[in-house]
Amino acid sequence: MDLIRDVLDNQLVDRNQHKIGKADGIILELRDNQPPRLAYIEVGMPTLMGRLHPRLQRWIIALEQKWGAKHSEPLRIPWSKVLDVGIDVDVDLEGEATTALTWEKWLRENVISKIPGGG
Amino acid sequence: MNKILMIALGILTSIGGFLDVGAIATAAEAGSEFGYQLIWAILLGTICVIFLVEMSGRLAAASKHTLADAIRERFGISFYIIPLIAEVFVDFLVLAAEIGGVCIALQLVTGISFQWWALPVAFAIWILLWKGTLGLIENGISTLGLITLVFVFATFKLHPSLTQLGAGILPTLPREDVTHYLFIAVSILGALISPYLFYFYSSGAVEDKWDEEYIGVNRMIAGVGMGFGSIVSLGVLIVAALVLHPKGIQVDSYEQAALMLTETFGYWGFILFAASLGIACFGAALEVSLDTAYIVAQTFGWNWGESLHPKEAARFSLVYTVFVFLASLLMLVGIDPLQLTLFSMAITTLTLPPVILPFLVLMNDKSYVGEYRNGWITNSVLIFTIALAFILAIVAIPLEIIGG
Repeated sequence: MDLIRDVLDNQLVDRNQHKIGKADGIILELRDNQPPRLAYIEVGMPTLMGRLHPRLQRWIIALEQKWGAKHSEPLRIPWSKVLDVGIDVDVDLEGEATTALTWEKWLRENVISKIPGGG
Repeated sequence: MNKILMIALGILTSIGGFLDVGAIATAAEAGSEFGYQLIWAILLGTICVIFLVEMSGRLAAASKHTLADAIRERFGISFYIIPLIAEVFVDFLVLAAEIGGVCIALQLVTGISFQWWALPVAFAIWILLWKGTLGLIENGISTLGLITLVFVFATFKLHPSLTQLGAGILPTLPREDVTHYLFIAVSILGALISPYLFYFYSSGAVEDKWDEEYIGVNRMIAGVGMGFGSIVSLGVLIVAALVLHPKGIQVDSYEQAALMLTETFGYWGFILFAASLGIACFGAALEVSLDTAYIVAQTFGWNWGESLHPKEAARFSLVYTVFVFLASLLMLVGIDPLQLTLFSMAITTLTLPPVILPFLVLMNDKSYVGEYRNGWITNSVLIFTIALAFILAIVAIPLEIIGG
């Protein structure tokens, strides 16, 4: 498998085929005297912005902590949870139970449900 | 659904959805100022857009990826951020112009200034997106757009000279106003080769769950639908050339353009023009709003889908909600809709290279399109279109300043 081609920037879906974000970053673990190990897929706006520019990353973290759901921690999905790498990357998680959908849930409860027809 | 019915419906919606504020404004201006001389620009733009729309649909059907998904995946965020920002910016201007088109249509009919219509129109767009489904928007609204065929009908009633029409097929330079002529040519191409079409079409195809069986359907819809659609655009140009050009009326506001159907239909021509403009722009405004929500949601991997209930795709629904109302503010403050339209067409051409260039890689990458990758004909047209896009992007701003 080619990590950059097949995993990085791919769509992540949970076990119910719900979209939970994109593979914004890939974390390798370096170990003494052993080859590096694939540790996590990272999901979150700060990780993504960090790939563009560190300053953008700082801004988005400040913004996410100050407003709305006040959550900016990226979600780390252990590689052992990855079920399949195809058109999407399937992970063995319940999207709603992870922090990947914190903002989606916050907006649903605090904004969308307040608009007529959105509840 | 029955394949033949699907193709027929797809072709109908392409014809009904072909015209938007940019196509009407640029074709009317071209016809009123230069007669038939710019017909070639509409034909050239149509050929480019047919091939690009076909490729967007084929990419979606073969790879199950939308264009936005595929570009981020294949090129990474560091490249994708460029077409993304360009597209959202252009969508914003174009959406404001489309809302302006609907407002002007209402102003023509009611006499109440277009600014007052900005918020009601934005609200009508929003409620359809909020409550409606993709099927309603794709089929219902675009089928209403078939009213724009009045321009084709008027063309036949006015009996244009075929030899003169034929002369417009080959590009020639006018004796005077060369920069203005070139500026309008660029605007026509910018209006027809709209990037939002490609993102929107591929997202719709994925939302409708297209697979390899749809490759043929897709080719028919893109080729025949867009081909017939461009006849409506040609109709606007020809009618403007026959009615406005001899009287020396230059289209510098929509009120003047509205006169073009009165020769054929009398008072009703005025109403038919307003209805065509209003419906065409309303349909396009729905598509542009949705397109923006599609690409933003696809960029970040959020749940998206026009047919989903807003609470199932909260961030997606919020994007179009905010976007529609922000864009309507440009009309509320009274920016001239026609000027904004011509300006945003020129800006669109600036964004074409980063949007079109990725097609060349994606449509030849076996890991995306497999056996359905481009052949030499599609690749030749694509390379020609990319070269054209670069030329347009370079000349658009200088021409805007000198000839706009």
